[in-house]
Amino acid sequence: MGLPIPLIPQLPEGKNFGLLARFENAQTIYTACEKVRDAGYTKWDSHTPFPVHGLDHAMGVKASKLPWLVLITGLSGATGGMLLQWWVSVHAYPLVISGKPLFSWPAFVPVTFELGVLFGALGAVFGMFAFNQLPMLFHPLFSSKAFARATDDGFFISIESWDPKYDETQTAALLREAGAVDVEVVENG
Amino acid sequence: MSHGPRIVDAAQMDLPAGSLWRRLPLVGAVLAVAGFGLSFAMRGGNEEQFYSSWLVAFLYFMSLGLGGLFFVLVQFATKSGWGIVVRRLAENTAASLAVMFLAFIPVYMGLNQLYHHWTDTAHLDAILQGKSPYLNTTRFLIFGLAYLAIWTLLALWFRSGSVKQDTTGDHDLTRRRVKWAGPGLIVFALTSTFASFDWAMSLEPHWYSTIFGVYYFAGSLVCVFAFLSLVIIGLRRAGSLEGFVTVEHMQDMGKLLYAFVVFWAYIGFSQFFLIWYANIPEETVWYLARLTGNWKPFTLFLAVGHFIVPFFFLMSRHAKRKNLTLGVGALWMMFMHLVDMYWLVMPTFQKDGYALTLLDLTTLLAVGGLFLAAFGFFLTRAKLVPAKDPRLIESISFQNF
Amino acid sequence: MAQLVENTHEPVEGRAPLILGGHDFKSLTDKVVEPLERKTPIGWWLCFIPSLAMLSVLGVAIGWLFWEGIGVWGLNNPVGWGWAIVNFVFWVGIGHAGTLISAILFLFRQTWRTSINRSAEAMTIFAVMCALIFPGIHVGRVWVAYWMLPVPNQMSMWPNFRSPLVWDVFAVSIYGSVSLLFWYVGMIPDLATIRDRTPSRVKKILYGMFALGWRASTRHWQHYERAYLILASLATPLVLSVHSIVSMDFATSQLPGWHTTIFPPYFVAGAIFSGFAMVVTLMIICRKAFKMEAILTLRHFENMAKIIMLTGMMVGYAYSIEFFIAWYSGNPYEQFVFINRAFGPYAWGYWIMVSCNVISPQIFWFKKFRTNLKVLFVVSIFVNIGMWFERFVIVASSLHRDFLPSSWDYYSPTKWDVMTFIGSFGLFFTMFCLFARFLPMVAMAEVKTVLPGADPHGDGPKVVIKGAD
Repeated sequence: MGLPIPLIPQLPEGKNFGLLARFENAQTIYTACEKVRDAGYTKWDSHTPFPVHGLDHAMGVKASKLPWLVLITGLSGATGGMLLQWWVSVHAYPLVISGKPLFSWPAFVPVTFELGVLFGALGAVFGMFAFNQLPMLFHPLFSSKAFARATDDGFFISIESWDPKYDETQTAALLREAGAVDVEVVENG
Repeated sequence: MSHGPRIVDAAQMDLPAGSLWRRLPLVGAVLAVAGFGLSFAMRGGNEEQFYSSWLVAFLYFMSLGLGGLFFVLVQFATKSGWGIVVRRLAENTAASLAVMFLAFIPVYMGLNQLYHHWTDTAHLDAILQGKSPYLNTTRFLIFGLAYLAIWTLLALWFRSGSVKQDTTGDHDLTRRRVKWAGPGLIVFALTSTFASFDWAMSLEPHWYSTIFGVYYFAGSLVCVFAFLSLVIIGLRRAGSLEGFVTVEHMQDMGKLLYAFVVFWAYIGFSQFFLIWYANIPEETVWYLARLTGNWKPFTLFLAVGHFIVPFFFLMSRHAKRKNLTLGVGALWMMFMHLVDMYWLVMPTFQKDGYALTLLDLTTLLAVGGLFLAAFGFFLTRAKLVPAKDPRLIESISFQNF
Repeated sequence: MAQLVENTHEPVEGRAPLILGGHDFKSLTDKVVEPLERKTPIGWWLCFIPSLAMLSVLGVAIGWLFWEGIGVWGLNNPVGWGWAIVNFVFWVGIGHAGTLISAILFLFRQTWRTSINRSAEAMTIFAVMCALIFPGIHVGRVWVAYWMLPVPNQMSMWPNFRSPLVWDVFAVSIYGSVSLLFWYVGMIPDLATIRDRTPSRVKKILYGMFALGWRASTRHWQHYERAYLILASLATPLVLSVHSIVSMDFATSQLPGWHTTIFPPYFVAGAIFSGFAMVVTLMIICRKAFKMEAILTLRHFENMAKIIMLTGMMVGYAYSIEFFIAWYSGNPYEQFVFINRAFGPYAWGYWIMVSCNVISPQIFWFKKFRTNLKVLFVVSIFVNIGMWFERFVIVASSLHRDFLPSSWDYYSPTKWDVMTFIGSFGLFFTMFCLFARFLPMVAMAEVKTVLPGADPHGDGPKVVIKGAD
């Protein structure tokens, strides 16, 4: 994966980015992804205007590690919150409020909980951005006019030319066999 | 290549012929008789312990039936799709309420031992005299019978229509239940709240908490989702429900169990926290009783065991999709709910600290046996799944995220 | 138009379609993005200009408050909390419906939420903005408002973490932040859609920046969906906790009518109740204004009416239990509060509350009225009036007559209290108008998942039972 450097993809040198194939609907892209996965390609992706149920399995993509990150950030937030309140109420600025003990742990629960949720949420959002290497404002696929449909009603598969099994004619043939309506070559840079 | 529809075998909707589950009504009956016999034998000179242990068991198994009834009502009110395959099991659980009036008899007989603070009408202070229009034995009996009658009516009506539909496939049966589920829920909310006030909160008649009914309700749901999870795991291992109740339904049961564990903690903490914060002696006395002597570690055990442990143990998706982890978690929660009921009742009678006795076990066997006998009776009398429910296919085929 | 009312009849053996009008993915995109691409219609200006006018009223009221001090409000002894806290709780409560729709309905797999969640989440953020104004401006010495935050300062002073008001600072600001994150993350795919179709270079850059370069990749969708599920799972306890913490402003006291254990869940139910009513009000207007009848169907409104009923019943339940326990407690002060509420100087407010909150939603027992938008609109407004009065009754009736009769007094708002409240609506509607003008009001990517054709395995039956009779 490498370190996420925002805005610009770190791609190897080469004339072409790869192939971009458009499919008619969610059903055909599902079967096509299974074919591409079974053919042994690794540097490829599919693009759909909405998340298609089960398509990540069809592509052979492993489950996201995001929940673990969120657990860590969330627990850190909660622990930090409790520590902050303990330090403030017992050491930094101890006040006796209506006879309650200095370390009034029941009273510290609300803020602890809220900070746990906040840091969990931050972990989820920024962790997701990191895993997805977003923001990445420039990408060779945007040079394709057809690709604009990926966020509208188009279903695409893109196979990068750096994939070991990539061959411009054979890969394009595989995609056409799988049901691609259009196949185009996308330039790099 | 297209994926054709999955085929499931209709025979999976029945218990296998020689299955031990078919013996459940008999086993339950034997346990009930044995439990009651032993309890009765040990009652002499120890009446207060007999009745208080009985009350704990009664509250526990009532909450199981009530949880089942709530689930059935909500399934109909929301026209839910996923839950249909498990609804019959909840209907059977709810139907156990029909025999609970038998378990109520000892509660009524033990009124003077259990609720002596307000039944002793000769020695009431001014405050309790003020409460006597509500806290009196006649009203207690009438309301108690009314609650049980209403719950029995609801549970049996909802179940009978569902079972009838197994043969007739009549959609009107569903429509009528959807229509009456809403009013049923209102009646459920009010009756279960006042039942918890009568049976549990009035043990300490000077104390009161507006959230008490919600607390009892939350615990009931934890218990029923744990119970249903265990029943599903058990039935699948016995060779039934294959293809009908899938790992997706198990995960949903696990999610509901988890959600209500958190909800229980939220309600329990709200009650504790507000009383702790305002520190008014009239209110704190109830918690002080639960923090005296070895009640203090008991209370800590309740908080940790009923919330902290399952919060982490059942958090992950995987834990809820595996028989072993969901089963262990569910079994633990059924135990912790018992600990909760014990914690609600016993501090009134054991002021210096908790002291477990044999009567706790035998009364549990008695009422539990009664519950199992009823549950088993209803379970073996009909198909395990609403065979002709209009949305059955949707229920079988649903998938989680 | 007969086609459009079809989906409220729910067949017992199936599900009615959610989106009507035979939409496919492309036509849905067109429908939702079209208001953003065309020239601003006159109707929008007719909403925006009055909203701005109300917003300026807010500015004047706040300005005068800062200049003259809190004395311009109607607060007295013993009623030290008045309209400001009522309005605060009112707005925070409204905000909760957005999160419920986004998060809780998502966890319950209620796919009908997809038509309303974007607008409801936007409503949440604007409602929280309005809510935060009141604690922000009411402190008196606004220039030291930072004392509420745990930041090191030259006096080595720190906040009192045992105070519910400090918990509020954390709860409401965290709630606003997480809602903002949830709303924004949900919008990224839709911002990419707008980016990809706009002919304007300026718009392409602006929307493109916020779309972060989203290219609809399945590998990205996978992490995205996980993040969305996690956010929904976090936002659910968050929404429960925030209004519970707000209720603790009252419940942690020793005041009869305030100190009662059921407040946390009761407040949460009330918040969802009023929030859904506000969503209904806004969505009925938007549906007409943007001609979204096929996407915001009667079925969506019927479901919202049912949730309004459900939460209204929960509020009614809490009223009854509070009343019963007040009697049961034998505490004369507690008993007096409830008699005073119904028959004392604020009885008018109490009965408005009861009729709006308990009686008016009962009309939704009848399907005919659940699916009638005129009735829905009127009832939704009543509910919000009722819920405002609920907070007012709680605050004013409990404070104005507590333990010592010689301290009793009556509280009335001043015109500055009223102007601040009206002005807060100005802020709310101004923000909502801007949202409707510049951002996609419907979560397109999410709605597409409920259209026919979204399922890669087709829409046919997935399971067949062999051997059934």
